[in-house]
Amino acid sequence: MDLLTTVTIAVAAGTMLVLAVAMSLVLGWANRAFHVEVDPRIDAINDALPAANCGGCGYVGCGEYAEAIVNDGADIDLCPVGGPATAADVAEIMNVDVGDAAPKRPVVHCSAEYPQRLGRHKYAGEMTCTSANLIAGVQGCIYGCLGFGDCVMACEYDAIHIVNGLAKVDYEKCIGCSACARVCPRNIITMIPFKTERVMTVACSNKDFGKDVKNVCETGCIGCKSCEKVTKGLFHLENNLPILDYDHLEADFDFGDALKKCPMESLVWVGKPSAEDIAETADEVLPDVVEADFKTTVDKTEWRG
Amino acid sequence: MEYIASIVLISVGAALINNFVLHYFVGICPFVGVSRRVEMAFGMGCAVTFVISIAAFLSWTFTYFVTRPGAPVTSWIWGMVNPGSEAVVDLSILNYIIYIFVIASSVQFVEMYLRKFFPALFKAFGIFLPLITTNCAILFGCLEIMKHITGASSPAEMWGLDKALVFAVSGGIGFAIAITMMAGIREELDLCDVPKPLEGAGITLLVAGIMAMAFMGFTGVDRGLEALLLK
Repeated sequence: MDLLTTVTIAVAAGTMLVLAVAMSLVLGWANRAFHVEVDPRIDAINDALPAANCGGCGYVGCGEYAEAIVNDGADIDLCPVGGPATAADVAEIMNVDVGDAAPKRPVVHCSAEYPQRLGRHKYAGEMTCTSANLIAGVQGCIYGCLGFGDCVMACEYDAIHIVNGLAKVDYEKCIGCSACARVCPRNIITMIPFKTERVMTVACSNKDFGKDVKNVCETGCIGCKSCEKVTKGLFHLENNLPILDYDHLEADFDFGDALKKCPMESLVWVGKPSAEDIAETADEVLPDVVEADFKTTVDKTEWRG
Repeated sequence: MEYIASIVLISVGAALINNFVLHYFVGICPFVGVSRRVEMAFGMGCAVTFVISIAAFLSWTFTYFVTRPGAPVTSWIWGMVNPGSEAVVDLSILNYIIYIFVIASSVQFVEMYLRKFFPALFKAFGIFLPLITTNCAILFGCLEIMKHITGASSPAEMWGLDKALVFAVSGGIGFAIAITMMAGIREELDLCDVPKPLEGAGITLLVAGIMAMAFMGFTGVDRGLEALLLK
């Protein structure tokens, strides 16, 4: 090796070394000068998350989700990539129970099928709830389910159906994506934490006073406050509607009194059927399911209304 | 007058005629990624302009004084080791790694600065701020400056720090102009009925192509400007 090559190599190495030292000094100074206090939990959660930055949780990336967990109290089990394992890690960091974060499932806050709904009129417009909702007088109740099935169209898991004009969720199939809750023009579908397989719900959205409700519906809540009294404030009335406080709801709370006291049919259990329900209906013969005949059906368009 | 003319020509050339994005197609990643809202795009343009100025300053300094063949520092060391030698030490091999080094460090610096003083902007940039590190528009700026130092046919034609900085700043401004225009168009595009297969990146690239063709209209402006300034 001649002298020139040796010197070139030495100078090159020296240059890089000087550069590295200079840059580390500058960045080290900047790190201290521009230091921002962050909750150490955010960093810890950031490490626990898979760093896929997929946005499946509904936030822009894992970093933003970690911040949302700590600052805004976002649910800890939203990460679809990490799944339960990540949720457990995050729960440990946040010092909460994984069980506290119950899966959320949609609940339809209406219990009136076609016969119970009063003041219905013939509607010949576009057969969607969004369109029908713009027009007064399609049905008497301006809060309840319209039954045109926008939620059915929105569901990608075949987990919600219109039964006799009322949307019913199939909790066996539902994964809790909340597409139906977003699309409902009357906002009667809400996401509720399912701490148990079956959950008590208020199946009415009518905010009017008792007399007005009775004029438009046979099953709607009349705001009598019976449930509030017998459950010692687990229900509380807002706009003539009982709101169930799910945060303080014990899994084994006995709703027997409330169900007995409710003069209408506004308190209903939703969720997967209990063992007793299945045993009760075990001997009933179900009618055959009629499938559409592809030879007589023109296309896949759904005929409704 | 000649000096002013050359400065004006360099800046107009870098910003409009040979726009980094629309003529050389460098820096497409943030151009497509961060051009959804005008404020964010403008912020990105400013960040790139800032980083490219710092990177240009540092890379010009290193290229001019250290890495170019016969640079003062290396000549001085070589002169101490082997006085009276005709040979020159050439460290051009280090150019790329030094530019990446310099760009990465200045991006890190900008990131810390933004995080402290402009948290909203920092959040809006998200992943794209670290991506400036590998933004080819900035590396392209450095390489273009290198070309005018090592590739100059005579020492008089070699770019000084003034020209390098003017080139870098106007290149960054050109990037900011392009990305802000793009964001303005894309904001309007949100209201348009775009065919389903073209939604998102597809229509954006089409728009970018049309914008690039429109910018071709600047070709030849430099000659007219030169004639005007040197008259």
